[in-house]
Amino acid sequence: HEFFVDMTCEGCSGAVTRVLNKLGVKFDIDLPNKKVFIESEQSVEVLIETLKKTGKTVTYIGPK
Amino acid sequence: RMSLKGAVNSIRVGVEGMTCNSCVQSIEQKIGSLQGVHNIQVSLELKEATVIFDPGLQSPDSLREAIDDMGFEGSISE
Repeated sequence: HEFFVDMTCEGCSGAVTRVLNKLGVKFDIDLPNKKVFIESEQSVEVLIETLKKTGKTVTYIGPK
Repeated sequence: RMSLKGAVNSIRVGVEGMTCNSCVQSIEQKIGSLQGVHNIQVSLELKEATVIFDPGLQSPDSLREAIDDMGFEGSISE
C-alpha cells in the first residue's frame, strides 16, 4: 500500500516510524516525496488510522 | 502533590523526537484538542510540553501516553 503523509522533517518521519513499529508492519518511508509504503495484511482503514495518530495529513494513494 | 481541589493542573512533559516546527504544531493541535486539556505550550529547544489540564479528565500518565501514541517519546519530569 502507498500513502501520502505530510512529513516535513526527520522528526515527522521518526514519529511515523514509531507508530508503524508499534503496529508491527513492514514499511518504507520516502521523506522527500512524503510517501510511506506499507506491506501488511491489515485493512487500509487501520493503516490510515495509525498514520493519522501522528497528527499529519494522510491520503491513500493505491495498493502498490 | 496532585492538587485535585482546583480544576486546573499544569505539568511539564519531556518530548523526545521533535526536530522541527511542524512536529511542534501537530503535537499542540492533537494534544490541545484532547478533552480536559485547557492549554499546551510546546518548546522545541527545551524538548518539552507544558500542559494545563483538568485533573478530573486527564492525568500525567494519560498525557504522556497521548504523546507516545503520536510517535514521540513522552516522559514525566516530576
